[in-house]
Formats: sequence, structure tokens, C-alpha cells
Amino acid sequence: MHTLITGGGSGIGRATALRLAKRSRISIADKSGANAQAVANEIRASGGKADAYEVDVLDGAAVRTVVAKADAVEPIDALFNNAGISVRTEIADISGAEWDLMLDTHARGMFFVAQAVLRNMVPRKKGAIVQTSSDFAVMGVPGMAAYCAAKCAIYSLTKALSLEFVQDGIRVNAIGPGPIDTPILASNRTEAEYRDAVARNETRVPMGRLGKPDEVAAVVDFLLSERASYINGQLIHPNGGTVMW
Amino acid sequence: MSSSNGAIVVTGAGSGIGREITRLLLDQGTPVSAWDINLGDLEGHNSPNLMVRRLDTRDKAALDKAAAETVERFGAIAGAATCAGIFRPKPFLELTQQDWDDHFGINLRGVLFTCQSVLPYMRERKKGSLVMFSSTLARSSKPRTGHYAATKGGVLGLMRVMALETAKEGIRVNAISPGIADTPMPNAVYESGTMADRAKANPMGRIGTANDMAQTALFLLSDEASFVTGQDFRVNGGQDPF
Repeated sequence: MHTLITGGGSGIGRATALRLAKRSRISIADKSGANAQAVANEIRASGGKADAYEVDVLDGAAVRTVVAKADAVEPIDALFNNAGISVRTEIADISGAEWDLMLDTHARGMFFVAQAVLRNMVPRKKGAIVQTSSDFAVMGVPGMAAYCAAKCAIYSLTKALSLEFVQDGIRVNAIGPGPIDTPILASNRTEAEYRDAVARNETRVPMGRLGKPDEVAAVVDFLLSERASYINGQLIHPNGGTVMW
Repeated sequence: MSSSNGAIVVTGAGSGIGREITRLLLDQGTPVSAWDINLGDLEGHNSPNLMVRRLDTRDKAALDKAAAETVERFGAIAGAATCAGIFRPKPFLELTQQDWDDHFGINLRGVLFTCQSVLPYMRERKKGSLVMFSSTLARSSKPRTGHYAATKGGVLGLMRVMALETAKEGIRVNAISPGIADTPMPNAVYESGTMADRAKANPMGRIGTANDMAQTALFLLSDEASFVTGQDFRVNGGQDPF
């Protein structure tokens, strides 16, 4: 098994890389080459097989090059399409550039990665894909309009891909994590703001706590495995009960 | 899951999905308390990791007794999968009160009673996982299934509220909504041609299996799903994305 993980250098991507390394070769792609390399080194140190690739998913040509390189090492039969960013801006203040960055990173970025990987997977008639959407795909959150729209786009992309490639033996699902204690939660926040965000989420989540990256990784692991061979086109929420629908 | 963590209660354990969950749990060494009105090949089949009780899930006293006996035998109840259910399709205008009461009694009230029988033991340990069975019919409709669909929609409502009420106590509650699966329940009421048509209509070109559903149930019962609660897993090959 060979799994490609985008955004694999930190947070949920990193936790999934470390978890899946027990049963899969891992290719870690990340905008930060240093972070990707650190995760690859960690996997190799515990006896696993891993390679690191520095790539920005906004760059379609670069994505195709990385996928070709990784696939040549060993055919990629699992993809965790996960790279993402978070910015909090009131709708009135969202600039065109900010909107584009949010939508392009999530929707167009995942499209580029999925397309490049699927071109190789389809002739092999086998594969599984999980894409990182969010609770916010199905709930409105003030100050997060662009992020909500981007994450819902990923869910729609997931449903379409799941039907388009099902006859090729490829399953496509999405995860919708709730509040998880990852670097994204701390990004663009002071230490005090971060602590405040944690406290607010602890109140909001029925389980009364934030999730850990490995608790999301366990769900991705399940969805990519044969145990989930009849689960397709779904949005699965490791969210502590934040959204139920 | 190991035996020191307690047993899993499985209702409807005598056939179909419940029987497959029982098999998988026993295979991995997890103790099972298997309950059914018709135990099938489990009848009289007690082994160190298996306790069987013949009971009707409409009988609250019998459920409470079986739960107490399970704790006595295995030390604790780690979780429950409520698979007991009936499915007798009928045109809406021909439905009798008996049809309605049978379906609601087993498919919904039976689930409530089963959960009530095991929850106190889970609360004591601040740990547990409940897996209920809804159906793809709770969301997407087929003729002649109004009464059944209503019970399965009810399961989703019950599941969510129970998840909220127990979330801070270390207890997780989730549901599985199977698409039509190759189990005795639909096979008893549908012609083989109907089953074949359903397979053709599915994006994956096949109907589900008891194993498909049981694998998801085992995932939800395990600590792998430690941040998953209040969710409905639609195991249907992609036929009904909602």
C-alpha cells in the first residue's frame, strides 16, 4: 500500500501519516518541505517507508510532477487529500485575493491532486480517497464564510467523484472534523486568543473537549481500509457531536 | 478491545448483521452477550466469551435482567449494538395498528429499552459505545415502507439525543444506516429478482453484506472512534449520499 498525504507535514495530515505508516508506504506532500521531511524522518526512524515532497497545491503543474514521482516509487493506491488553510475574516472585509486563496487552496488544490492521482488509479481499477472537509461544510459560522464555502465545495467534489469513479473500483469519501487541536487552530492567533478559542470550543463540543489529531487519523485509516469497502460518497464527522445530521 | 474491557451486548444476534457482529467480536476475543427472540445457531451455545439470552426486546424486565447477568458474568458492559428489528413492507392504506405497533415496539422502543438496560453500567465506568441501526429508508423512500421508515427515522432522533445526554460521560452513541443488504430480513419479503434489481441500481453494482455493516459497527464500538458521536454512518455503496 502506498498513501499520498497532502498537508502531511503537520496536524491531522501528520497524525494520519504516522498512523498509516504501520501498514503503508507514505508520501508526505506539504507546502513546508521541512515539515514534510521531519515527518518522513520520524516514520523512517521507526522502520517505516516514507518520502517527503515540497509542493504548493495551488500549482497544478507542480502537483502533477510530485504525483508522478511518488507513483513511480510505488503505485499510489490511497490518497488523503488534506492540505488546507484557515483565515477568519468578517464577510464585509474579505478581499478578492483572500477569497481566491481560500477557494483555490481547498477546492482547486484538491481537484488538482485528485485528478493527478486518479489518472493513475483508474487503469489499475483500485483505490481509496479521503478528502478533508469540515463540520463547517454543513453549518454556518460567523467570520468564516470563505472557509465554509470552500469546505462545502470539497464535500460536493467528493460526492461527484464518488459516483464518477465507483465503477473503477475507487471509493471517495470526505471527513468533516469538528474542533481539533492542530496548528490551524493556533494560526493567526496570539497565545491568549488561542486559549480563548480552546475554551470556546470546549463549551461548544458536546463531548466537552477538542479532538486530537490522531482521533481524526483513526477515522481516515478506517475509511481508506477494506473495512469500509461499502462506504462511498459520505461525509464522516469526527467532531465530538458538534454537528449531527 | 479485550475481555478485560467488558462485553458487547448484541441484540438481534441470531441472524443477519447481529450474527456477523457477534462472529467478528468473538474472533477478536471480545466477550459477547447475544440476545435475540430467535437465537438461530447460537441457541444453547455458551462458551467462555459468549453468553446467550433468548428474549424479546419489547420486554423491558427481560432486558434489565440480561444486562445485570452480563455484568455479573463479564464484569462490565463496554458497548451495545442494537440490531433487533423487523421489516414487513405493506401499502400505506393497508397498514393495521398491529403492523404499526409491532414495528415501533421492536425497531424503536426495543432500541430505547435495550439502551436503558445497559446505560447505567456504562455511566458507572464513564465509558461505553452504543451503535443503533437506522436504515437508508430513514432518508430515501421506497413505496410500502412508511411504518418501517418512521421507526428508522425515530432511531436517528433517539440516537442524537442520547449522544448529547451522554457525551460528557465518556459514552458515544452512533447509528449505521445500511442500504439494502443480503440478510434474512429483506430476503424474507423480497423476490430474488427485486434483490438483483437493487444490486444493479447501486453505484457499486452490488447490495451490501452483513460483513460491510458489521465492520463499521466494530469500528464505532472501538476506541478508534473516540471522537465520533451523534453520527449516522450510511453504509450503502454511495447510493444515498444523504
